[in-house]
Amino acid sequence: MTAISIPLEHVLVLAAVLFLLGLTGVLVRRNAIFQLMSLEIMMNACGLAFIAGGALWAAPDGQVMYMLVLSLAAAEVAVGLGLVLQLERRFGHLDVDAASELNG
Amino acid sequence: MEIVLFYIAAAVTLSATTLVITRLDASHALIYLIVSLLAVAVIFYLLGAPFAAALEIVIYAGAIMVLFVFVVMMLNQGRRGVEQERTLMHPRMWIGPSALTGILLLEMIYVIAASTAPSAAVVVSPRQVGVALFGPYVLAVELASILLLAALIGALHFGRRYMRDRREGAE
Amino acid sequence: MNLEALWLIPAAPLAGSIVLLAAQGRMPQLPAALIGAGSVGLSAFVALSVALAWGDAGHAPYAQTLWTWIDVGGFTPRITLYLDGLSLVMVGVITGVGFLIHLYATGYMAGEEGYCRFFAYMNLFVFAMLMLVLGDNLLVLYLGWEGVGLCSYLLIGFFHLEDANGYAARKAFVVTRIGDVAMALGLFLLYRELGTLEIGAIADGARAAWGNGSPMCTLAALLLLGGAVGKSAQIPLQTWLPDAMAGPTPVSALIHAATMVTAGVYLVARMHALYVLAPTAQLAVAVVGAATLFVAALAALTQRDIKRILAYSTMSQIGYMFMALGVGAWSAAIFHLMTHAFFKALLFLAAGSVISALHHEQNIYRMGGLWRRLPIPFACMVIGSAALSALPLTSGFYSKDEILLASFAFGATGPWFWAIGSAAALLTALYSMRMIVVVFFGAQHHETSGHDGLNMTIPLVVLALLAIGGGWFGLTPVAAVLPDGGAGAEHGGVLALVTMAIPVLGVVAGWLLFTRRSSWAHLMQTPLGEGTRRLLSAGLGFDAIYDALFVRPFVALARLNRNDVIDGVYVGIAALSRSLHRAASATQTGHLRWYAVNMALGVALMLLLAIGG
Repeated sequence: MTAISIPLEHVLVLAAVLFLLGLTGVLVRRNAIFQLMSLEIMMNACGLAFIAGGALWAAPDGQVMYMLVLSLAAAEVAVGLGLVLQLERRFGHLDVDAASELNG
Repeated sequence: MEIVLFYIAAAVTLSATTLVITRLDASHALIYLIVSLLAVAVIFYLLGAPFAAALEIVIYAGAIMVLFVFVVMMLNQGRRGVEQERTLMHPRMWIGPSALTGILLLEMIYVIAASTAPSAAVVVSPRQVGVALFGPYVLAVELASILLLAALIGALHFGRRYMRDRREGAE
Repeated sequence: MNLEALWLIPAAPLAGSIVLLAAQGRMPQLPAALIGAGSVGLSAFVALSVALAWGDAGHAPYAQTLWTWIDVGGFTPRITLYLDGLSLVMVGVITGVGFLIHLYATGYMAGEEGYCRFFAYMNLFVFAMLMLVLGDNLLVLYLGWEGVGLCSYLLIGFFHLEDANGYAARKAFVVTRIGDVAMALGLFLLYRELGTLEIGAIADGARAAWGNGSPMCTLAALLLLGGAVGKSAQIPLQTWLPDAMAGPTPVSALIHAATMVTAGVYLVARMHALYVLAPTAQLAVAVVGAATLFVAALAALTQRDIKRILAYSTMSQIGYMFMALGVGAWSAAIFHLMTHAFFKALLFLAAGSVISALHHEQNIYRMGGLWRRLPIPFACMVIGSAALSALPLTSGFYSKDEILLASFAFGATGPWFWAIGSAAALLTALYSMRMIVVVFFGAQHHETSGHDGLNMTIPLVVLALLAIGGGWFGLTPVAAVLPDGGAGAEHGGVLALVTMAIPVLGVVAGWLLFTRRSSWAHLMQTPLGEGTRRLLSAGLGFDAIYDALFVRPFVALARLNRNDVIDGVYVGIAALSRSLHRAASATQTGHLRWYAVNMALGVALMLLLAIGG
């Protein structure tokens, strides 16, 4: 096995930045599709962190976790997009702030 | 050599992701997201995880993003959607969240910099991943499949409702 | 019947009361009357038999223990009935006079709402009073004490649909309660110092532990005096008795003339051992008695309500008894208690006949000229008033003169007590004459109706005979119990003649004054006369003083605390909880991005803590 010379702190920082970009997207955007996209960004960043960890410890566990994260993302997107469709049907637009009746 | 490639791919990822969250048109944002994912796949490959890189492209960019594209096309928001986005967003909204994430970023960089783990990395072949999947992680695989089944049923239910409502709305 | 039937004496009225209470007011009048009067009659009969048996047994004290009341930590009071001369006299008065009054009440209360309830309460009262006098220890006495207080409250407020009766009942209860608290403190003190509440043991223990004039003994005696003062309506706790006349007339006769108000006298007499050891307290008893008898006689002179005249008269006569106890004439006090029961009950019952014949008119100035229409009540009132004024050869004469002569011989202050007592005797004769003249002579202002049945006439006749002849018994049974051995003062000499003459003078003066209304009315027209009359009529302003001193500040304080401070704590807790809830639920806005922001903030804070900590 050959050693890789990429400094892993940089990879982790990259993952952190990606994650926080995704978080910013969730906090700022009101369109439901954009929120789901931002969530995808966050999950991708987590996967990157896992891969980096697996490469560090020379174990397949990182990639296994990445695959589980991937299947989770897929499931979530499927259901989430179904919800987006319903949202559009009920309100006529995709503003998430409109669906706020669970309050008080 | 690899480091240079890594930095280039990282730059592409970051810029593409930034563009994703700032676009007004959903389809533009989706394309940028796909670009970002492809760059991340390159990084995976550079980190010695070719299997993960392949999965990233095939499943993440190829299936999940395509699903997004389908839904956006189906909703057919178009120009009206763009106008809506323009009204919903204005620069002042970015200040608070940016500050919050800035604080988080600083904290995370601090944590990462403070850790003293060795920074050597090695390639992990697909073969090892496969052995791990069928070995210690076989239950996790089963659980993931059940999760996907649940998501399938949920999406089916929502979609059918949607189609029925749409048909009734059209009549 | 032998002495063992002693327990039947209180048990019969208790059983009667329970049966009548259980009937819940649905019993018809005849059975209720039979049970009510019959139970007390049975008690009287048993009392007579027990008295005869006691006499046969040589006047020895007899104790009958029924069961142990409490048994905790070495404190084991027993329900023990104790029969000696003193308690026998009291039992005789309570059951005898009580039975006659019950019999009268079967006629007087006929047709009234709550007939059954009336006799239930009356029987309960008789039971409590018997327990009071028969108790061997102070705890049983206190049981009876509280019981009579309760029954007094229930019976004063018997016609409960009128607000005024409720106020009068509450006033009686609260004022006597003040006395009861003092008495309870006395009991606590006695138990703590002497370790027992049995009366005999207290007497022995006090003689052993405390010397003459010991402060602890004086304190205990004064506290018990406080209780006696409350129950017997002496100064300063006397304001409740005139208002207590709101109850039915048989109640006034039994409770507020013959028995309950004499409980204080009985208490002091029973605890004579303490008072003998504490001369200061005994002097206080005499002073209280003297003050009350004079003040009450003054107040009785100006009352318009016939029952209030008799109430103040009772207060005054009990003052005589207290004065007698205070100067050491113990037997004379008990003797006067007995004769007073006879003639005061007679007066009240006769007044009741007059009142009911006039359709419950109680203002004497609206009566008049009744001596022809109501001959029997007239005769009874004359006899009763004669005994009250202590005219020669009536029962009252023997007992009251006994007291006056004994007080003269008391010591340095003796003659002062005699003077006050005699002055009050003059006033007594005056107000009795006023009552008789205004009610029975002169022009008739009110029509009479109705006719007393036999059940009302017989008690009047019997009591009249007792009022005349009751004094010839003497008090031999009490001799063995009380320190002065039943000995009386001398009956000869100038002093005795003067004492005898004063009431006669009063009667003559009263006849002259009140039959010729002009001079009296003239006197009353002057501003001084009018002012004095008003002051005396209001019981010398005690009610007004207490109202200003105690009632008004208390009501003001209560009004301050209208939004109760203590309640405010609980309301405040609820309000705080509700406001916290409102604050917490404000954070749940329903907006997804708001929740995401909070999560991110939380993570930032946690990381901060993790890095810092």
